[in-house]
Amino acid sequence: MGKKNWRLERPLHLMILPGLLFVLIFSYAPMAGLIIAFQDFIPTKGMFGSHWVGLEHFKYVYGLPQTRAVVANTLFISFMKIVAGLVVPITTAILLNEIRKQFFKRAIQTVIYLPHFLSWVILSGILIDILSPSSGILNQGLGFLFGAKPIFFLGDQSWFPYVMVTTDVWKEFGFGTIIYLAALTSINPMLYEAAVIDGANRWKQTLHITIPGMFPVIVLMMTLAIGNILNAGFDQIFNMYNPSVYETGDILDTYVYRLAFVNAQLSVATAVGLFKSIISFLLISLSYIIAYRFANYRIF
Amino acid sequence: MRKKPVKTLTVGILTTLLLASACSNGNNGSNGNTGNTGNTGSKSDTPAVSGNAGADANANKPASGMEEGPFGKYDPPITMTTVRSLPDVEEYRKGESLDDNLWTKDFSSILGINVVNKWKVNNKQYNNKITVSMISGDMPDFYQVDSKQLQQIVDAGQAADLTEIYEKYASDVTKQSFEEFGGIKLQGATFDGKLMALPLNGGMPGAAQMIWIRADWLKNLGLEPPKTMDDVNKIALAFTKDDPDQNGKNDTIGLNLMKDLFGGWAGIDGYLNGYHAYAFNPANASGTELIIRKDADGKPILGDTLPEVKTALGHLRDLYAAGAINKEFSVLDPSKAGDLATTSKVGMSYGEFWVGTWPINNMKKEDPKVDWKPYPIVSSDDQPVHPTGRGDVPTSFIVVNKNSKHPEAAMKILNYFHEKVSGPNKDEAYHQVKEGDKNYQVFGLSPIVGPGFSNTNQTDNDLIQDALKTGDESKLTPSAMVYYKGIKEYQAGNMEMWFWNALFGPGGAYSITNDYDKNSPPVTSEYLGQPTLSMVSKGPILRDLEIKVFTEIINGTRPLDDFDTAFVAEWNKQGGQDILKEIAESGRLK
Repeated sequence: MGKKNWRLERPLHLMILPGLLFVLIFSYAPMAGLIIAFQDFIPTKGMFGSHWVGLEHFKYVYGLPQTRAVVANTLFISFMKIVAGLVVPITTAILLNEIRKQFFKRAIQTVIYLPHFLSWVILSGILIDILSPSSGILNQGLGFLFGAKPIFFLGDQSWFPYVMVTTDVWKEFGFGTIIYLAALTSINPMLYEAAVIDGANRWKQTLHITIPGMFPVIVLMMTLAIGNILNAGFDQIFNMYNPSVYETGDILDTYVYRLAFVNAQLSVATAVGLFKSIISFLLISLSYIIAYRFANYRIF
Repeated sequence: MRKKPVKTLTVGILTTLLLASACSNGNNGSNGNTGNTGNTGSKSDTPAVSGNAGADANANKPASGMEEGPFGKYDPPITMTTVRSLPDVEEYRKGESLDDNLWTKDFSSILGINVVNKWKVNNKQYNNKITVSMISGDMPDFYQVDSKQLQQIVDAGQAADLTEIYEKYASDVTKQSFEEFGGIKLQGATFDGKLMALPLNGGMPGAAQMIWIRADWLKNLGLEPPKTMDDVNKIALAFTKDDPDQNGKNDTIGLNLMKDLFGGWAGIDGYLNGYHAYAFNPANASGTELIIRKDADGKPILGDTLPEVKTALGHLRDLYAAGAINKEFSVLDPSKAGDLATTSKVGMSYGEFWVGTWPINNMKKEDPKVDWKPYPIVSSDDQPVHPTGRGDVPTSFIVVNKNSKHPEAAMKILNYFHEKVSGPNKDEAYHQVKEGDKNYQVFGLSPIVGPGFSNTNQTDNDLIQDALKTGDESKLTPSAMVYYKGIKEYQAGNMEMWFWNALFGPGGAYSITNDYDKNSPPVTSEYLGQPTLSMVSKGPILRDLEIKVFTEIINGTRPLDDFDTAFVAEWNKQGGQDILKEIAESGRLK
């Protein structure tokens, strides 16, 4: 690289600097605090005065009788959310793309996007009312149409995880749809014209042009989602769960919240946080390698 | 999108740790002068400090430049640093702030103490900031902490021993305040026989529950208020089945419950009391606030594990099966359970005195026929009934830094506060001031808000009852006057003031708790100390266990006998034994 180039690029490098500093100060520097996961951290003694306990906190959390069920719930709910969170918005995006009336398309897009802006605190209140077995509109509708017995969606262990997945997808699929719609606009229209000349119908066009055209974005979204597999949605579940569905609905984040945060057991909380970060890092690396091998997709 | 609360929180905490020392160092110099500037003018007529204190104060002046006695003045003035927690809504009179107000002016002119706030943060961040300050070691001369922090500070040897200072400098009012109700406040702040902090609350056990019932529904069905637990259960069933609101629809339930099970609104605490059971394990304390009782040998035992609890749960289970408890209680939080009351779907709920102020406070205004009334809890048999009492052990303290040069100055500030707000010479100008249409709680500006006397509302209630009977308002205290006027306005037809009547009116909530205190004193936890190590680490899991089993026993998913096998046995096994052992070893049983 010549000297001249460097001089030209210097302002550009300077413009990166604030962002870089921000990441260094707020994302990297605090990582030093991870050492308290290996200490019996006592605030009055500080990070350097507290004594070392090795992997004690990891063993403690692992040894608790509930931990296995909680990890299983987390993976189950999270996996279902990832799958449904891919399938539903992709389908919606493809269907919306076929709509010719622009006004109608925009209207649907806006309506399904709206719940994304509501917080779970508000939505949980609304959902508890809608899903109530005695007065909820859903159960009354089901009873009226099919004569079904009221279902206690939020109080029944077997229903709870599915309700979480459904409501999460309902809240977020509008957002995903917009991303996939954006991906659709980047497909070269000439491909469709060529396909029409070759005699391909709508379905064949979708199968051979639309879906392959969206593939890079799908892979990117999937890669990002897999890194989050241990985050099954704290805000959502914390606002809707209750002791009678702990067995199937309690996830890592809500569990650790009750276990460690409320009583300020900082070391335990840090240990679980570190554990989650390591798993996420491994998974995100793995999915990136897979994406790179099989879809020839590169983020970097 | 999906968030990562644990990670974010951890990162947040750690970031604060790193940045904190930088922040707190910067503040030392800037505020130094605020105390002095207030001395001039306006306060020339500062009320004289009460008699005996001043008398021996002038007599001897030690070399250090300090007069002896509870109100002795420092000359030259000294500076005491502290830190402050800000309320969510800050409202000050013009020219006043936490740094400069009537208290700080008096402290510097009368006591010779300039109080300097090293930092001020929102109350939600206060605890974190204190933790951070502990780590950085940059502590002020005195500061407010909770029970857990106090334990840590005492363990770390950072608190000054106040035992002698209390003997020497506490004013009469302060002594009376600390020593009321068997000196429970002092006990709570005493470690190994030494007074390590100034307690800011505690005293009279509060939080006793009563039964809030729709009296208009009772009348509709021709029922009497309950005398026994059988009556309570019968009323619950009648409210469910006999259409108490007379709208021709089967749309009501008898007894309100919510998912936390324990709490001051729609909890089971008061119902359990009827069967002489004393259980308590609220959601927000995460298994660290327990009712510890003593068995026949004087050993500690958890109230929640006793057989009386099982009996009471059995009756709740029957009520649930009969449809008299809301089917969905296990998913409803207190405010959702409150909606059931405000939409007239439920006619009875156990709760504390404050139920009158929330959630049912507006119902009378919207429909004058609605008539919620508090009734005392009742017994299941011929044994007298006692409510569960809490809040007698202090949970908030002022710690004096052991490096402070004038540890007694904090005691003097507290003395002055008590003198103006709680003592016989109290002055409403230091308590609550009305300017324009705003009420300013000026007592809160003081850096130390002393506990005063914990039964103020109770004594006020007695005064109000007398005044209501005789019409003589002269004996009412300023606070009782406010309540009394509220009741009078309600009686004149202003339904907005209904809650005053529910709390302080004839047969109101405070009359009921006063009766409890006279005839059936509350049962409180026998444990005085802070949450033990096992309580902190195992409490949350044990609470999960308890709430889950209790919920499932009530809603019928489990047999009643699971109380012994799935709860009591498991509780002991999963760490309960450790908790009881630690409590027994702490030597802090009453």
